[in-house]
Amino acid sequence: MIPEFGHLILIVHLILSLLGGTLPLLAVYGNYRSLEISLKKLSFMLFILITISFLSLIYSFLVDDFSVAYVAQNSNINLPVYYKLAATWGAHEGSLVLWILAMNAWLIGFIFFTHSKDKDFLSTVFSISCQVIFAFSLFTLFTSNPFERILPIPPLNGADLNPSLQDFAFTVHPPLLYFGYSGLLIPFAIAVAAILFKKDTREWASYSRPWTLLSCSFLTLGIALGSWWAYYELGWGGWWFWDPVENAAFVPWLLSVALFHSLITSQNRGVFGKWSILLSIFAFATSLLGTFLVRSGILTSVHAFALDPERGVFLLAILAFFVIGSLFIYSITDFGHVEENKYELTSKEFGFLLNNLLLVVLAISILFGTIFPLIYEAFTGGKQISVGAPYFEIILFPFALALGLLQGVALYLSWGKSSSFDFLPRLLIESLSIFSLIILILFVLFDNLYLSSFATIFLASWILMGTLQITKKRNLSYWNFLRKRLAVTFAHAGMAILIIGVGVVSSYSLEKEIILAPGDSTEFSDQTINFQSIDDLLGPNYTSKSAVVSFDDGGELSNIVTEKRTYLPSGQITTEAGIQADLFKDLYVSIGDNLQSNIWSFKVQIKPFIRWIWLGALLIAIGSFLAGVRQFKRR
Amino acid sequence: MKKIIDALPLVVFALLIIVLFSFLSDKDDQLETALIDSSFPDFNLGALSDESRLLTKRDIIKLPALINVWATWCIACRVEHPFLMKLKEESRLTIYGLNYKDNKFKALELLERDGNPFEFSIYDFEGRLAIDLGVYGAPETFFIDKNGLIRERHVGVIDERVWEEKFSKYLNE
Repeated sequence: MIPEFGHLILIVHLILSLLGGTLPLLAVYGNYRSLEISLKKLSFMLFILITISFLSLIYSFLVDDFSVAYVAQNSNINLPVYYKLAATWGAHEGSLVLWILAMNAWLIGFIFFTHSKDKDFLSTVFSISCQVIFAFSLFTLFTSNPFERILPIPPLNGADLNPSLQDFAFTVHPPLLYFGYSGLLIPFAIAVAAILFKKDTREWASYSRPWTLLSCSFLTLGIALGSWWAYYELGWGGWWFWDPVENAAFVPWLLSVALFHSLITSQNRGVFGKWSILLSIFAFATSLLGTFLVRSGILTSVHAFALDPERGVFLLAILAFFVIGSLFIYSITDFGHVEENKYELTSKEFGFLLNNLLLVVLAISILFGTIFPLIYEAFTGGKQISVGAPYFEIILFPFALALGLLQGVALYLSWGKSSSFDFLPRLLIESLSIFSLIILILFVLFDNLYLSSFATIFLASWILMGTLQITKKRNLSYWNFLRKRLAVTFAHAGMAILIIGVGVVSSYSLEKEIILAPGDSTEFSDQTINFQSIDDLLGPNYTSKSAVVSFDDGGELSNIVTEKRTYLPSGQITTEAGIQADLFKDLYVSIGDNLQSNIWSFKVQIKPFIRWIWLGALLIAIGSFLAGVRQFKRR
Repeated sequence: MKKIIDALPLVVFALLIIVLFSFLSDKDDQLETALIDSSFPDFNLGALSDESRLLTKRDIIKLPALINVWATWCIACRVEHPFLMKLKEESRLTIYGLNYKDNKFKALELLERDGNPFEFSIYDFEGRLAIDLGVYGAPETFFIDKNGLIRERHVGVIDERVWEEKFSKYLNE
C-alpha cells in the first residue's frame, strides 16, 4: 500500500506544481487577480507532498519491499540498514525524487527569505520554478517511476546496491550534488523574471546572490566528496579523472563561481546586468546538460545510469524548452538604454570582468572537450575520437595560472577608480617568503625537491598572501579586518590550500608494485613494508580477504588493512584500499592478485598533501556558505 | 547589430541542442545495424604483451567470444573489470581485449595488478581497428558467436544485468 500511496502523492505533487506554474502567471499577466494564491502556502504544500513521497520510497527500502522494482534492483535483504536508506537515492529513479525534493526545498527558502514589495515579480519567479519542478515530476512519473511494482510474482530477494556505492562518502555525495545542481534553479528563475520585468540590476542581483552562493557551496562539497570517494574506492589513488560526469559537475561549478562574482558587481555597481542574466541561464543549463549526459547514456562513464534513449529525449526536451525559451525572451527583449557605471582598467569591476571571462572560457573549453567526441562524430559520419586527461590538463593550466594571479591582487582593487599598484612589491616579497617556507617544509619532510611543483606552490602563496592582505592599511585592527571578510578569506585561502595540495601531490607522489608472502618485507622510499597476515573475514553482505600490511619509517609503525571483497548477492569483487591518512602524507596500499598459494601483489603509494585538496575544497564550501548566509543577515 | 549579439546565445545553444538530438536519435540504430551479423573486420595489429607478435582476425579462434574494448584511462573499464574476471572464471566464453589508445605500460601494469581476463589483448594505439568496429568509446563489448559473426554489441559498462539481458542468450544457442 505504501508505495501506491507514495505514487499517488507524487501525482498530486505533479498537479499542484502545474497549478503553481500557471496560476500566478495568469494572475500577473492575465490580470485575473482572483487567481492570486499564497505562494508561501503553496510552496509549503509542495514541499510536504514531495517529502511524503520520498519517505514512502525510503520506507519501501527499509521494509525490503521487493515487489517495488526499484527496491528489488537496488537493495537486498542483507544490505545494512544504513545503506538501505542510502540506496533510496543510489540509482536513477530515486535520485530524481530527491532532486525534486531539493528543488522544492530551495523554492521554499526563496519564498520565505526574499523580502520584496514587488509581489508580481515574486509570483513570476515562483511560477518559473514550479514549471521546472513540474517538468521534472512529469519526467519521473512517465519514464522513471520509482514506485513501479513487479507483480504478480515479486522476487524474494533484491539484486543489491552496487557494492562500490556501499560507502559513506557515496551516500552523502549525491544529495549534496543534487542540492547544488538544483539550487541553480533559483538564480535561473530570478534571471528570467528579471528579463520579463526589466528589473533594476542591483535589485534582482541582491535576490539572486545568496542562492547562487549556497548552491555553489553545495556543489563544492558534492564534487569534493566524489573526488575523495574515487580516491579510496576505485583503489587507484587518483583524485580527479576528467571523467565526463566529473566535467559535467565541474562546468556548472565554474559558472556558479563566475555568476556570484558577477552578481557582486551587479549588486554593488549596477553593471554587468545582461551578463549576469546570461550566466544565470547557462549555469542552470549546464547543470541540466550534465544530468542529460549522465542519464541518457550518451557518454559512457563510471557514473552512467541505465541506458534508456527515451529518458534522453525527455531530458533534452526539458533542457531545450527552458533554456531556448529563456534565451528567446532574452533576445527579443529591448533592455533600452542600459545605464552603466564607468569603470577604469584597473578597477575592481574590471577585475571581476577578467575573472568572469577566464572562468567562462575555461568552462566552455571543458564542456567542449566533454562533448567534442559527439560533435566530431556527428560531422564525420560515425568516426570517433576520445578526449582524455591530457587535453584538459593542458587547457586548465594557463587558466588556473591567470585566475590565480588575478586572485592574488583582486582584493586590493577598489570600485570604479583605478587602483595604485604600490602594494605589488610587498605582496611579491610576502608570497616569496611563504613560498620559501613551504619549499623548506617540503624539503624537510621528503628530502627532495621537485621543480615541477614550484609554479603551483608559488601561485598558492601568492593567492594566500593576497587574501590575508597583511600589507593592507585600514583603520580596523588586522583581526577585525579579517573577521569582516571572513567568508572571502575562507574561500580564497581554501583555493590556495587546494592548489598547494594539487601541486605537491602531482609531483611528490610515489608508487610501487610489490609482491609479498606473509611475513616478508620490502623497502619503499624510506618505508619498510611488511606483509603481516591475510585472513578471511565475513561482512554483513560480503566475504573478504583482509590483508594487514605494516609501514615502518624507522620511528612509527602503522598497520594498514586492505581488503578484497566479494559481495554475495552480485558476486562483484571490490578492492578496499587501506589508507593511513595524515595531514602531510597518506600511506596507501591496495591488495592486488593472489599470485600463488599465499603470495599476493600489492600496490603501495605515498600521497603527500592529498588531504589539502579536500581541505581546501571544504574551506571554499564554508566560505561560500558563510557569504550566502551573510546575504540574508544584511537585509 | 545589438539584436544580433542578443540572439547569439540563443543560436549557439539551439545548435548544441540539435547536435545532441541528432546524436540521440540515430545513435541506437547506427550501433545496432552497422555490424550485426557480419564477420569481424580484418586487422593486423601487435599484441599488447608483445608488440612484435602480430595478430590478425585468424587469431580469434576460441569461439564464442567477447571482444572488450578497454583502456586504463577509462574508469568505467575498471568498474567492469571484476565482472569480466568473473565471466572468465565461470563461463566457457573466451574474452579478447582491444586495448584502445592507451599507454602500453600502464595497461600491462593494470592487468598485472587487477588480473587479466583476456586471452590476449590487441594493442590498438591509433584506434584503427576501433574505427572499423565503429567503437564509440571505451568500454564497449562485442559478442562473436561460434561461427565468427558479431551478434551483439554493448556500449558502456557490462555487468550482471547487461549480461543477462543482452548477451547470455547467444551463449546458449
